[in-house]
Amino acid sequence: MGCVPAGNVARTRRTEPGELPEPDAIRLAQQGDAAAFERLYRLHNRRVYSLCLRMVSNTAEAEDLTQEAFLQLFRKIATFRGESAFSTWLHRLAVNVVLMKLRKKSGNETSLEEVTEPDEESGGPRRDFGAPDLRLSGSIDRVNLQRAVEQLPPGYKSVFVLHDVQGYEHNEIAGIMGCSIGNSKSQLHKARMRLRELLHEALRDQAREERKVAGTASGSGGED
Amino acid sequence: MATPGCRDFQNSFESWMEGELPPEARAHVSDCRSCARLIEDLSSIRLAANEWNASEEPPARIWTSLRAQLVEEGLIREPQSKQKSGLLHGWFPQTPRPVLAGAYLAALVAIAFSMVGPVKRHVNHQRWMEGTENSTAMLSAQLNTAEQNVELADPNPVITASLHQNLAIVDNYISLCEKSVSEDPEDEVARDYLFDAYHTKADLLAQISERGDYGR
Repeated sequence: MGCVPAGNVARTRRTEPGELPEPDAIRLAQQGDAAAFERLYRLHNRRVYSLCLRMVSNTAEAEDLTQEAFLQLFRKIATFRGESAFSTWLHRLAVNVVLMKLRKKSGNETSLEEVTEPDEESGGPRRDFGAPDLRLSGSIDRVNLQRAVEQLPPGYKSVFVLHDVQGYEHNEIAGIMGCSIGNSKSQLHKARMRLRELLHEALRDQAREERKVAGTASGSGGED
Repeated sequence: MATPGCRDFQNSFESWMEGELPPEARAHVSDCRSCARLIEDLSSIRLAANEWNASEEPPARIWTSLRAQLVEEGLIREPQSKQKSGLLHGWFPQTPRPVLAGAYLAALVAIAFSMVGPVKRHVNHQRWMEGTENSTAMLSAQLNTAEQNVELADPNPVITASLHQNLAIVDNYISLCEKSVSEDPEDEVARDYLFDAYHTKADLLAQISERGDYGR
């Protein structure tokens, strides 16, 4: 693990004519220019906020995390020398802020490597494809998906949200997460497999509930 | 139960995720209900994830709060009256400040503050809001009138462009602050910033006015 950040996450808000370009905003922000700080915030706030929101599924926490990520960014901006893309740097900070938060919540003092590679006993994927009795096709709604994603180990969650939800490429995720491209692919596969299990469990629970309700309804219907 | 074919498929599946399945894998899937279901499920998950990617606009209060923190830590310059002139400082650092030129605009702010006050803690918030709206509307109108009367054109086109740009920045800041206050009327920090934003604009107009008087 532990590779050099290499990605170029360029999904920022487009610069309109007359707006300060990002490199100029970075240079001015390094000199303490308030408008430049705001410009950088406006360029990246939507994606960082969306990332945080998908990761923690709580708007209040997502707001705090977004603020914390930008605060860390602006505290360190004087040290930015452009070796990696600014957006990659920012998203790496944001992911780390979220992972730290998730770790604190779970009381789990694990390293980034560990949260991206949970072992089989701690909720890792099982290489058992089985033959689930319910079909996921057409039955995954936003609520189901969110609940399942919430249950993923933090590292899986990060890679899944970055790739499948936000559309980053594996080389970009490698830059953000500080891992290899192969590792990013592997984590994504495991995340999807774990999600599949979780979604099937949710569907089975749902079907069981529906049967119970139907049974109760038919039972109570005869007493009228 | 996984057949050897399934096991081979499973072991290689990870490397096929992003592309087309090779012919032997496709042949296996066409004969294996379990692996076909797997492909179908993973496609459904990808599709659902993709539809979940609605980019969301973060609330304005994040920037308001972040900005306050940055000012507190000294990372960005607080727009106080002396530093507010920094917006124009680069252009005419030696400009003296005639007392009369900015008096009218300074008085506007003073009147507004004396009528309502930027922050009155422990007051009825509804009343505060109503008072703020009235005061803001009046102050905003007066500032707009003052802006129309101030000569923004300078013989130097670079300076004229800079003046317009600086006013646009301040106007954007005012809009942001107004949005924050309307979203959360009880947010005292947002109220502080709103009045501070008006103060900034008044100060900027005063300096432009001074510049005009000095140049004549």
